[in-house]
Amino acid sequence: MGKRITVPFGSQHVALPEPVRFVFQTENEKIVDVEVDVGYVHRGIEKACATKFKYMQVGYVVARVCGLCAISHTLGYVTALERLMGVEVPKRALYLRLLVSELDRIHSHLLAMGHTAEVAGYENLFMQTFRHRELVMEMLELLTGNRVQFDFACPGGVNRDLTPEVEKVLREKLKVLEEKALWLRDVYENDFSLTLRWKGTGVVTEEMAKEMNVVGPPARAAGLKTDVRAEFDYLPFKEVGYRMVVLKGGSIYERNLVRALEVLNSIEMCWNILDGLPEGDIKVPVKGLPEGEMFVRIEAPRGELFYYIRGSKKLILDRVRIRVPTFANIPVMKELFVGMDYADVPATVISFDPCLSCTAR
Amino acid sequence: MVVDEIKVPLREVRRTIKEFYDPKEWHFITVNGVDLGGKVELKWFFTKYGEREYFKVVTSEASYDDEIPTITYLIPSAWISEWELADLFGLNVEGAKRGLFLDPESPQAPLRRG
Repeated sequence: MGKRITVPFGSQHVALPEPVRFVFQTENEKIVDVEVDVGYVHRGIEKACATKFKYMQVGYVVARVCGLCAISHTLGYVTALERLMGVEVPKRALYLRLLVSELDRIHSHLLAMGHTAEVAGYENLFMQTFRHRELVMEMLELLTGNRVQFDFACPGGVNRDLTPEVEKVLREKLKVLEEKALWLRDVYENDFSLTLRWKGTGVVTEEMAKEMNVVGPPARAAGLKTDVRAEFDYLPFKEVGYRMVVLKGGSIYERNLVRALEVLNSIEMCWNILDGLPEGDIKVPVKGLPEGEMFVRIEAPRGELFYYIRGSKKLILDRVRIRVPTFANIPVMKELFVGMDYADVPATVISFDPCLSCTAR
Repeated sequence: MVVDEIKVPLREVRRTIKEFYDPKEWHFITVNGVDLGGKVELKWFFTKYGEREYFKVVTSEASYDDEIPTITYLIPSAWISEWELADLFGLNVEGAKRGLFLDPESPQAPLRRG
């Protein structure tokens, strides 16, 4: 046994896109203990939603929880509100929400894959992945008006319709993206260096995933069959060709491969949505005041997103609770580090695609 | 949506969860607090793998001074939700450390309404 050394990792670190702090106790290269701090970007959003903003404004506030996950946050909130107030959303609006939600998943997954390639020292692949992700950003901008921090869904429907001109451009870009996504899947699946570096590193077993209540791609990469898209009816996923991607292995390699395969399934769903988009309204008026409580689950790109709301017939809600996927995955990350070589930490952290803006709120 | 809600006194929470919770079947989502003025309503949310829209919710109430029993003996990943309760509601949760979400200089227990 060597001398015990304390190694801080974050809150600012070259491998981290967002501020989280792990303090590792190491003996030689092995981690023997770890402490975590996730509160660097706490902004009191839940407090603001229950004190400052009217229930019709909260969807825009929660979109500011995180730039990338804005689609999922607004979707979670408006779904909970619509269920609480008995609002029936037009089918066209549901399909448009689904389209934007899957595009959001694609760009989030490509971001995670790119970052993991970067921390493996594969800078060229990082750049290629981000270059292709740019196509999705452009599509989201065309659809919603913004590259990030979208305000697309609203209580009762969506804020913008899909015009024939935009649809034409989307189809062109989607075709290019599909080709690139197939190529990326091939690289992430078969590249010798990546496979050698990632396979068997940072393994979450299926038992561990169940024990630690892991969510999202890390759970499915470990063989745990869980995906809110199959477990909660918030959008018509079954009608557009959704398939659950589950792999065995649970290492960094499988986590990225789950994402690469889900990107392809999301593209397939986007094609089906464009081909079968129902006609009709995109929004219905929401009247009355929310009374009672409601909770919903949404499959955000990083995993299960949980929203709880409670109102008492007032314009301002009594409680808005947001439980994000990274919050759910922090405990397993902490568990995973003990016994791991310090050199594997950056890639393992990034392979969980942590979002600290969401976690701290 | 099917919600099976079980209301129990605080001292019964751990035993109630222990009676049904099996990590192979149940997914623990989170524990949520709602301030009722002088006391906090707590709800532990669970869903069953492979079931559509099926939830089990264990509900209890705690005064600000009560000690909230930890469920980390049964569900190791629950510590983060419990530490959040300790920070944001200023509750005394068994074994929870303060400061995971809030800076020491920031206003304490911000989600209390009183």
